[in-house]
Amino acid sequence: MADMQVDVAIIGAGPAGVAAGIGAREAGAEDVLVLERDWDLGGILQQCIHPGFGLHAFKEELTGPEYMHRWIERAHKAGVAFLTNSMVFKMESDGSLWVMNPEKGVFHVTAKATVLAMGCRERPLGAINVPGSRPSGIFTAGTAQRFVNMEGYMPGHRTVILGSGDIGLIMARRLVWEGARVEGVFELMPWAGGLRRNIAQCLNDYGIPFYLSQTVIQVHGRDRLEGVTVAGVDEKRRPVAGTERYIACDCLLLAVGLIPENELSRMAGVDIHAATGGPVLNEFYQTSRPSIFAAGNVVIVYDLADWVSQEGVAAGRNAALYAAGILEKPVRRIEVRGGRNVRLFSPQNIVGSGDVTVYFRVLRPIEKRCRIFAEPGLFERRQRYVRPGEMNEIHLKGAALQALPETVTTITLDAEEV
Amino acid sequence: MTDKTFDIVIVGAGIVGATLARELSAYSLRVAVIDKASDIPSGASRANSAMIHAGYDDQPGTIKADFCPIGNRLYHELAAPLDFTLKECGSYVCGFDDDDRIHLEKLLEQGRANRVPGLEIISGETLRRREPYASGDITHALRAPTGAVINNFEAVLAFIDNAQQNGVELFLETELKDLLLSADGAEVVGVATNRGRLFAPVVVNAAGVYSDLVARMAGDDSFFIRPTRGEYYIMDKRIGSLVNSFFFACPTPKGKGITVAPTAENNLLIGPTSIVQPGRDDTSTTADGLAEVIDGARRLIPSIPLNMAITAFSGLRANPDTKDFIVNVLERPLGFVNAAGIKSPGFTSAPAIACHLVELMKDRLAKRISFIPDPTFIPERKHTPRFEMLSLEEKRRLAEADPRYAQIVCRCEMVTEGQIVEAITRGARTVAAVKIWTRAGAGRCQGGFCGPRVVDILARELGVSCEEITRHGGHSRYLVGKTKDYWFRGEN
Ligand SMILES: Cc1cc2nc3c(=O)[nH]c(=O)nc-3n(C[C@H](O)[C@H](O)[C@H](O)COP(=O)(O)OP(=O)(O)OC[C@H]3O[C@@H](n4cnc5c(N)ncnc54)[C@H](O)[C@@H]3O)c2cc1C
Ligand SMILES: Cc1cc2nc3c(=O)[nH]c(=O)nc-3n(C[C@H](O)[C@H](O)[C@H](O)COP(=O)(O)OP(=O)(O)OC[C@H]3O[C@@H](n4cnc5c(N)ncnc54)[C@H](O)[C@@H]3O)c2cc1C
Repeated sequence: MADMQVDVAIIGAGPAGVAAGIGAREAGAEDVLVLERDWDLGGILQQCIHPGFGLHAFKEELTGPEYMHRWIERAHKAGVAFLTNSMVFKMESDGSLWVMNPEKGVFHVTAKATVLAMGCRERPLGAINVPGSRPSGIFTAGTAQRFVNMEGYMPGHRTVILGSGDIGLIMARRLVWEGARVEGVFELMPWAGGLRRNIAQCLNDYGIPFYLSQTVIQVHGRDRLEGVTVAGVDEKRRPVAGTERYIACDCLLLAVGLIPENELSRMAGVDIHAATGGPVLNEFYQTSRPSIFAAGNVVIVYDLADWVSQEGVAAGRNAALYAAGILEKPVRRIEVRGGRNVRLFSPQNIVGSGDVTVYFRVLRPIEKRCRIFAEPGLFERRQRYVRPGEMNEIHLKGAALQALPETVTTITLDAEEV
Repeated sequence: MTDKTFDIVIVGAGIVGATLARELSAYSLRVAVIDKASDIPSGASRANSAMIHAGYDDQPGTIKADFCPIGNRLYHELAAPLDFTLKECGSYVCGFDDDDRIHLEKLLEQGRANRVPGLEIISGETLRRREPYASGDITHALRAPTGAVINNFEAVLAFIDNAQQNGVELFLETELKDLLLSADGAEVVGVATNRGRLFAPVVVNAAGVYSDLVARMAGDDSFFIRPTRGEYYIMDKRIGSLVNSFFFACPTPKGKGITVAPTAENNLLIGPTSIVQPGRDDTSTTADGLAEVIDGARRLIPSIPLNMAITAFSGLRANPDTKDFIVNVLERPLGFVNAAGIKSPGFTSAPAIACHLVELMKDRLAKRISFIPDPTFIPERKHTPRFEMLSLEEKRRLAEADPRYAQIVCRCEMVTEGQIVEAITRGARTVAAVKIWTRAGAGRCQGGFCGPRVVDILARELGVSCEEITRHGGHSRYLVGKTKDYWFRGEN
């Protein structure tokens, strides 16, 4: 098959990749190609048939597929080219890609700039070390979501959900709608992993019990899952003897975290941030390899797809500017750091002269008046709470950053009580 | 299944049954292999350290000590013609003090007595120059260059597959229920299974952890099996390069202890524990066991990161009370052959056991079956293509020849639809069997993404509905039914 040459190549057609395509075309790139390994465009949102998308982007509440439909229409109008069923399986350090699909076989795509938009994957059972047997009936919540929403099959009749990530919460309600029983959602931490609104709308409204500081400590059953043992945990998250309880179930769903999907990024030699598991970025969404950009869940796990789309547009735009040789040149390099209550944030460094938005998540919730801030003296906002399940934004003024003394090479983000 | 007649029935399609079947398939014999499992390997041959031992571990004079180095050589010879993955990585037994040093000397001597090539003792410094992540506390190590790791799934499939190509019949989900004897009890005439009877003048007991119970059916109560569980973690390929060789600590009375090893696919494997079990098929993992694995592994390689585990599993060793392999032909009932209690290093020894058994049978059972070489015997076979391992050029060619090889199904291990269809054609019936054949679902997301697609392809190729597909046979159905609105989608 003939190899391809484009201005901007984008890996992944979820909200990030589709938006990046639009951003790149709008910024003047001629040939913009999005490569997607799935049969259809839309990424994870294809299976998110619940409402809750678009409140920011379109000021109305849409389902995932509706939301993506609008973006995909826009992308087609903007002249973005798509190849579906096309897996990028290798990325060279110059950002060029090896791709395969059944129509074209294996082919090579070179691009002046590349955008990583591969999203994330779910943590499996093995990664969280639950002892016991390995019967059928154990699924990550996203896999179950695909089975139920896209394939039309039920993963089980009586379900226990481990972890309170949003997908697990949404699946709890979905399974109840399908006539299954949900025995409860068990969360290891003393606080919820997902959004408050999902706890209210997906659990409380359906009388599904939600247990904090509890976990599954054993899986039972040889062929099909027969039950799990749950137990309370102490402050160090170790099971507390005497609190064990057996729950009969034929299905265990895991909503225990998402991991940015960065195998290709690693192959290309892109620096990966130890805490986020995504590429280290500057505010132009540029990785440590200058021609490679990144946006969306491949960088840091976002709580709302609307933000991902917004970031995708910006990343695509910058990639197009880079491809044309007109991306702003670095003026100085300022490292961003997390304070005591912040580990996950992006971008990790600031090199230009413009305004910058930094996204971050807190480690521990603060359920009272608090402030989020960037030191030294760059930003402060009062909030009624901060929660690990929700992304926070900090806006930094370019002028204020440039006014920092030369000796200041880092800025610190944090959230604390007031 | 209606009654059928064979020359030999092998009970158990682990590595012992598989290597024997393949060895027998070189003769004009009608051979059946039965296994109660839905996919193979399923017993100890499925869950073990996959180490092809060099052979210094075993007391000279034992059967194990004889077979292990020969088996090692045979795997090296057969890896290419039978197309299974063998990685020559060598091994180290690590010592932490003077007592250990003495022990290493003993192993060295023992190894030389067993004719193991290339053994040497090196200092901790030399070790760390070659293996930078090895613990600073290691003072000496015994190097065995012929130690290798194998893809144990592929190896069992390779032997069975080649045997089948040469006419051996494999019956899965077929459990030996009883031995059929002549009226006077002096001779074997076949086996009774859950699926009917198979008549044969020779029956081989290769039933692993159940081999004592099978021997009982022949009235042989000379040994019993003490199932001993070993638990493991598999870690992400990203840290597969923490070690280049197989790492053991000095053995203790309990066994070889926790090891750290690269796998044939460059994952990192740590384990096993060694705990005697009451049951014969409980391959659960436990919190204590897994904690022991971590501690033991970190003693050898302190920097192993825990968050890189992708899955945990356990296997059951068929440890016989006699402490050695039981390989013999019974006088009564005549025709009953034991390849029983094949404990570690049983995987390594299996091809040697198979050769030995054939000689033994030729000698002792000549009246019952005749060993005439089969001129049509084909000594080689090909595995399904390993797409991930192919060069770009080879990938290109394969994908062009058959577009199903350009359709990725498992993205973590880069398994294509072509491979999965091929595995199903060659007998895979369950999600687990597809994983064993192709590694689809064996990667870091553990089938999260490809699970639904594998179920789909299995259903399509087998012409059944998705709900009928099982994870690993029996009652392990993958899905439990359709959603309410499935019926409104116009798909049915
Ligand atoms: C299971 C799940 C459920 C979610 N539910 C919600 C929700 O209800 N509400 C909400 O607001 N947010 C939800 N999120 C988060 C939200 O969907 C994400 O923030 C958003 O989808 C991220 O967009 P993305 O484009 O970065 O990634 P994705 O939507 O994951 O898209 C990435 C795309 O890249 C493709 N890709 C990856 N690697 C390759 C490759 N090598 N070659 C070709 N293509 C590739 C993938 O197939 C995929 O289509 C959910 C996330 C998950 C994982
Ligand atoms: C934790 C662990 C680590 C090990 N590490 C190593 C190593 O690194 N190197 C090495 O060389 N060896 C190792 N071994 C030993 C090695 O795995 C075994 O010696 C070898 O796999 C035994 O093979 P087998 O064919 O005898 O038994 P199995 O593989 O157990 O096969 C027996 C088969 O018989 C079938 N069966 C049983 N009863 C019946 C019945 N009634 N009817 C029909 N079918 C039946 C079972 O389903 C099974 O498939 C290890 C073992 C364990 C458990």
